[in-house]
Amino acid sequence: MSDISPHDAWNELSALPTGQRVELSDAEGHTWSGTVVPRHDFSGDRVLQLKLESGYNIGVRIEPTFHFRLLGGSPTAAAPTSRTPTPSRAADAGPWIALLTTGGTIASRVDYETGGVRPVKEEREILDFFPELEASGRVRIVPVFDRLSEDLVPDDWRVLAEKVVATFATGARGIVVAHGTDTLGFTAAALSFLLVDLPGPVVLVGAQRSPDRPSSDGASNLRAAVEVAHDSRIGEVVVVMHAAPSDDRFAIHRGTWVRKMHSSRRDAFRSRNGPPLGVVEGGKVVLHQPVKAPAAGPPRVDGPIDTHAALLWFYPGLTPERAARFAEGCRGIVLAGTGLGHLGSDHLPWIRAATARGVVVAMTTQCLEGNVEPYVYSTGRDLLRAGVLYLGDLLPETAYAKMLWALGHSPDPAKVAQLLAEDRAGEFHERHDPRETA
Amino acid sequence: MKAGLEVHQQLAVGKLFCGCPADLSEEVTEAFTRSLRAAGGESRAVDVAAALQASRGLVYRYEGGPSSCLVEMDEEPPHPLNEAALDTALTLALLLRARPVDEIEVMRKIVVDGSNTTGFQRTALVAVDGELEVSGRRYSIPTICLEEDAARKVRESPGEITYRLDRLGIPLIEIATGPEIVSGAEAREVAEEIGALLRATRRVRRGIGTIREDVNVSIEGGHRIEVKGVQELRLIEEYVDREVARQKFLLELRDELGRSHARVPADPPLDVTDLFREVASGPFSGAGRGGQVVLAVGLVGFDGLLRSPPGSEERLGREFADHARSVGLRGLVHSDELPAYGVSEATVAAVRERMGLAKADAFVLVTDRSHERASMALKRVVERARVALEGVPGETRDPLPDGRTRFSRPLPGRDRMYPETDIPPIPITAERLERLRSHLPERPEELEARLARSHGLPIEVVRQLVYGDLVERFESLARSGHPAGLVARLLTQDLPAVSTGAAGGLPFEPSLETLGAVLAAAKAGRIAKEGVPTVLSALAAGAPSVEVAIERAGLSGFSKEDLIALVRKVVEANAEIVRARGEAAFSPLMGDVMREVRGRRDGREVSDTLHAEIARVRARSGP
Repeated sequence: MSDISPHDAWNELSALPTGQRVELSDAEGHTWSGTVVPRHDFSGDRVLQLKLESGYNIGVRIEPTFHFRLLGGSPTAAAPTSRTPTPSRAADAGPWIALLTTGGTIASRVDYETGGVRPVKEEREILDFFPELEASGRVRIVPVFDRLSEDLVPDDWRVLAEKVVATFATGARGIVVAHGTDTLGFTAAALSFLLVDLPGPVVLVGAQRSPDRPSSDGASNLRAAVEVAHDSRIGEVVVVMHAAPSDDRFAIHRGTWVRKMHSSRRDAFRSRNGPPLGVVEGGKVVLHQPVKAPAAGPPRVDGPIDTHAALLWFYPGLTPERAARFAEGCRGIVLAGTGLGHLGSDHLPWIRAATARGVVVAMTTQCLEGNVEPYVYSTGRDLLRAGVLYLGDLLPETAYAKMLWALGHSPDPAKVAQLLAEDRAGEFHERHDPRETA
Repeated sequence: MKAGLEVHQQLAVGKLFCGCPADLSEEVTEAFTRSLRAAGGESRAVDVAAALQASRGLVYRYEGGPSSCLVEMDEEPPHPLNEAALDTALTLALLLRARPVDEIEVMRKIVVDGSNTTGFQRTALVAVDGELEVSGRRYSIPTICLEEDAARKVRESPGEITYRLDRLGIPLIEIATGPEIVSGAEAREVAEEIGALLRATRRVRRGIGTIREDVNVSIEGGHRIEVKGVQELRLIEEYVDREVARQKFLLELRDELGRSHARVPADPPLDVTDLFREVASGPFSGAGRGGQVVLAVGLVGFDGLLRSPPGSEERLGREFADHARSVGLRGLVHSDELPAYGVSEATVAAVRERMGLAKADAFVLVTDRSHERASMALKRVVERARVALEGVPGETRDPLPDGRTRFSRPLPGRDRMYPETDIPPIPITAERLERLRSHLPERPEELEARLARSHGLPIEVVRQLVYGDLVERFESLARSGHPAGLVARLLTQDLPAVSTGAAGGLPFEPSLETLGAVLAAAKAGRIAKEGVPTVLSALAAGAPSVEVAIERAGLSGFSKEDLIALVRKVVEANAEIVRARGEAAFSPLMGDVMREVRGRRDGREVSDTLHAEIARVRARSGP
């Protein structure tokens, strides 16, 4: 800024460390005194943020003529202290489960520098949030990632799957995966295809409110997830989250059926095309649907994944050229088509060309509920003839995760198509109960 | 003594962080339950008050309806701050000659009593260093804040509190005065002045509960006490004066305890259930059955100091009982009030013996089906007894309708605010302040002068209109052509008389149209102005229209002829007196006639008729 003179107070004030107490006075002699707090990302130009003695934070616009003096002591910037001692790993008495942490809101705290939330890394920090975990003595914590879920990539699904298998090998009865909610549905679907012969439940859980808030849903979701992870009837990948705005009922969703259906509600996660597998109520796991039983054999990760695939949402105005460019370099494309599984008929040429090249093109519906069905309209029949594979009532995200898994299993498009069409993890619904679908 | 006020006024500009209307509603379309956890702030220290509340392990039930959305449910992040609310707060800051901050940062103030679904209240400091002059005295206004109101408690049962979400998120302006108030009467006056300034913005909600005051009181050697949520302005004076008396009592008690070498032993509560098995009546009659226990603690040197000293209403026993109630007990019994409650002299002696207490010692008993709750209660009592040795504990107290206050919780600590990261800082620009400065509303004193001038009303009446929040209605009715005097009398005298007398507890708040119709009936001579209160009472009692109210009040169909006939009858019946006393007979006869007329004819008309009739009778009889 050109108007800053060498004696501009801002030069020094802007360089003060967090926690420094300072008294400012303006040209009219008005004074402010408080403690420097981290500057907010969206704070204005030349604004110093102070925490006043009252506890309020305010921003003071620093004019070049301001005077200031530094004050001693720093009453408001107490160093973070842990409320819990070093965790005891002695969970040897009786069955135990493992908590794999990947980051996300459930293991995040407010970052006062950016104003957002950031994932915590340390096991100790997690126990600070959920002291009851340690008190129960039945949970061991295994940090895997410390990233928000939008930063996770498909290769991380495989790393996570390996970790699950390794953790089962150390004797865990079930596994809880704490995960950011944004892409939790993708990870749940991917793990459903990647993990086979599970000896117990793999329970993904998240939070819609960060645990530094008194109203966080993280602790109650986690408690419910731990209950499900201890359930010896379940041998598949599930998601456990709030079933309603209340803190006393939690839905158990099959990993391939579930979708984040709301950006902020606690009960954002919903099973599509049918009811969830069951609920946790009053600390009890109640199953309403048949679940996959635990396998006797050791669990394993079923093959590599191939990330040369894309998920394409059709919309009016999407030109064939844009779509074709999007599909470049892909071995597989999942389309989220309109209605029963349609794209504008002008898209047929690039699709024919792609399938001719050996690209697997699969169709799902952007309606998110109901089957795709190629025979009802001519567009569907044309797409079918162009080589598009229709994937029943799979969610677009589930179909995408399955595509990556299937591509990893064979270079042969026909074999990939065959894997996609098979039910691998209970992902297809055989019937759609009118009472259970909206 | 010194006292300071925090005035909280609801604004009528929609909610602070969402698009819901700022209206209360009895319609419930959504209900859910939550629990809250104590969470750390920036420094992760768990606040004392927050920890106490969380330890109660309560379930909170919330009811939502047309005045709440996902934001109140804590199911959606807050929307940007309501700009009209901020303008109102800034306007008030300018009226109070305060200095707005350059950039507002919305904070989260931890509140885990369930009254906020988030577990915190959003609040922002808007301006500092204002001042107010009342009756020639100056008071500092250190802070003006804008914050969201809490949900309102509608029910409470063991383990569960139910809140309605309609009130949650209504904008509140909080105005704090410095601790410069030196009497209860002064506190009331300052509160009234601030109330008038707030109403001058014409953006405030009105009615019971829309303005609430926290009163901070301390005396030399005492401690700051916060009486929280006073809704009745007229009781402020009493709360302050009584709190001063209570603190004086506690300081004298401390000295008394010192003289008797009182101390509080560290022994845990003793189970004395077996000594109460034979008690046949009162709170201890179930002892030993169904898990009901009796626990006791001894207090060395406290004998005789738990009851009220002569001439005082204060007693340590009540302070103890308030603390026992704070963990869910109904109360306690102490040795100064025994034998009583079905407990015999012999049982008292047995307790003393069991506890090894001397004659100068006191003990406190609690009984409950939960051993844990009973010992928690005694733990609180013991803590309170220890503070009694030092003087006055700093605490938050609830105002009671009779002017007394009751312990609510310890004063909240300081580390209870951290930034609301969902809302970016809001700059207060010079242009915005300039715009508001050029449209400042009339100050109360300017308003008074204008009303007195333009309507020819006496200043006392004008002040009643201004401080009674009646100006808008007055101006509206006066603009419609009703005589100013009649409107002022209706609003300041007739209506309050009916409102306080209304049955069923609900305030009587007739619409402007209804009031206009009553005034029109008076103007047309269909009722006398003396009949206005009767018609209002009939409306308050449920009359569906002014017509029906006039009918029900028995004011219809009393013609001028009827009046003349009535007056003639009364005068003839008292012809002897009229002849003997002449004009002096007027007053007693006027009383008789008015009782019969009951507001159906105008008072002046009645008096004219009576004068004429008296003159007629006197003329007939001759001198």
